[in-house]
Amino acid sequence: MSSPFAIVVKEISRSYGEIKALNKISLDIPEGKIFGLLGPNGSGKTTLIRSLIGSLEPDSGLLTVLGKNPIKDRFELRKHIGYMPQLSAVYEELSARDNIRFFGELQEVEDLENKVQSILEFTELTHRAEDPVRTYSGGMKKRVSLACAMIHEPKLLFLDEPTAAVDPHLKIQSWELFRKLAENGTTIVVSTHLMDEAFRCDQLCILNRGELIAMDTPKGILEKGRTTLSFKRNGKEEQQEISSEPTALAQTLKSFGLEADIHSIELYPDTIEDIVLRMVDKNTIPE
Amino acid sequence: MISKHLTTISKRVIKQLILDKRYLALSTIAPLVIIGFYKLFADAITSSTPGFVIARYAIPISAFIVHFLCFILCAIALVQERKDGTLERLFINGVHKTSIIGGYALGYFGLATLQSVIVLTETIWLFDLDFTSGEIILIFIVIWLLAIVSVLLGIFVSTFARSEGHVFPFIPLLILPSIFLSGLLIDVSLLPNPVQIFSHLLPLNYANNILQDIVFDDLNMHETLQNIGILLGYAICLWILASSTLKETE
Repeated sequence: MSSPFAIVVKEISRSYGEIKALNKISLDIPEGKIFGLLGPNGSGKTTLIRSLIGSLEPDSGLLTVLGKNPIKDRFELRKHIGYMPQLSAVYEELSARDNIRFFGELQEVEDLENKVQSILEFTELTHRAEDPVRTYSGGMKKRVSLACAMIHEPKLLFLDEPTAAVDPHLKIQSWELFRKLAENGTTIVVSTHLMDEAFRCDQLCILNRGELIAMDTPKGILEKGRTTLSFKRNGKEEQQEISSEPTALAQTLKSFGLEADIHSIELYPDTIEDIVLRMVDKNTIPE
Repeated sequence: MISKHLTTISKRVIKQLILDKRYLALSTIAPLVIIGFYKLFADAITSSTPGFVIARYAIPISAFIVHFLCFILCAIALVQERKDGTLERLFINGVHKTSIIGGYALGYFGLATLQSVIVLTETIWLFDLDFTSGEIILIFIVIWLLAIVSVLLGIFVSTFARSEGHVFPFIPLLILPSIFLSGLLIDVSLLPNPVQIFSHLLPLNYANNILQDIVFDDLNMHETLQNIGILLGYAICLWILASSTLKETE
């Protein structure tokens, strides 16, 4: 019987000497979703990803990836898994094209040259495709790394802080691509410590010091928070703290005259990134 | 699949070596300079020591220089790959350890061949050595085989190392004893018995056996083939050993 989950993790633990990097973590990751691992540095995100790709052997616990054991069935899984590590992990002397072609050849990708060209176009690397990677900026190296992870169109993509050092424009583009991939059935596991990125995921798991402290949708996590409303009336300021659930805001505003049939209010203010990007885009539009 | 991955990796290694002009230049210039210094040293000894036969040392010491340089240049190969995270990436892409070791070895064989040609040509020319073309071909085969063993020995060592610093202790341990114990300076039979056992573990000992026989016109086909066979055996064993010591998981 096939599982609806791409990944099943049951009580896995892993220590580095005295330090418990993962402590009895259990989670199920559904297929075709973007699953975020959120947590500060050292929370266990990378250890969890490296366990899932078969690079690290957990001390205890069980895990299956696409129904297989990531260590024992590594060779069966290889065609279905893509991995972008935190380091760029590309060959600096080679060009972007050579790097992507190399990983494509290892994965025996058909029609490789065309696929390399289209992935270079997507990652906006065509103009520097033949230059050695060592001459690239940090963000460009990340793009090469992402391209190498995706060249064989894997069913499951592991991205360890994929947009660190990437400029906001490409960050948004990357997330649009991740969303498109997920809509086409690719399961994406992405680690991040950036909150704005985390809230682009379908489901989030929050890790801290190797412990799983919360797992929910981003909306569900937001609703666990509190919202402070600040009112100014006749020069006096009043504050009221309410639950972050959309219904709570509507309820509160009714006493200020909000229509009775409005049950829920949600605010989507621009982030500073949205504002800056809009300014940049406006500025770069040709006259 | 293993052979396909091996070829893909070796092509990439060769391309990287060709593109890394500084590394390539140093790998080529280093043996040229060392042999040059060696010639100056040999001239000083020859002029101050009557009856000194330089031919007895010229080719074997050149072989040692190739052995040393090929080892050093390859010993950090996998260290770099591990540090950059590309080794892990190869494993995730389903590449077998044997293909990685084989791919690296094949890639570096080109460099080993280049160094063997440079060292042999310069030594014969500078020391004005007189060999038949058959002897030169045999000397080249021996030095090249020794270079291949050195490449694999370097790769084997690099499977243990997590940084370049881990490689350095292996240099005095694995390479320097060859100077004293492999028959390069004095015949192995003159060494104390327990030390002779250690001498027989050193690949340079077998290369030196053939080179000395060529220099003293004392070639024996059976012994030569035996020594060549042992060098080949070293290469195969080191490949297998390196493939088993390279860790895929932590």
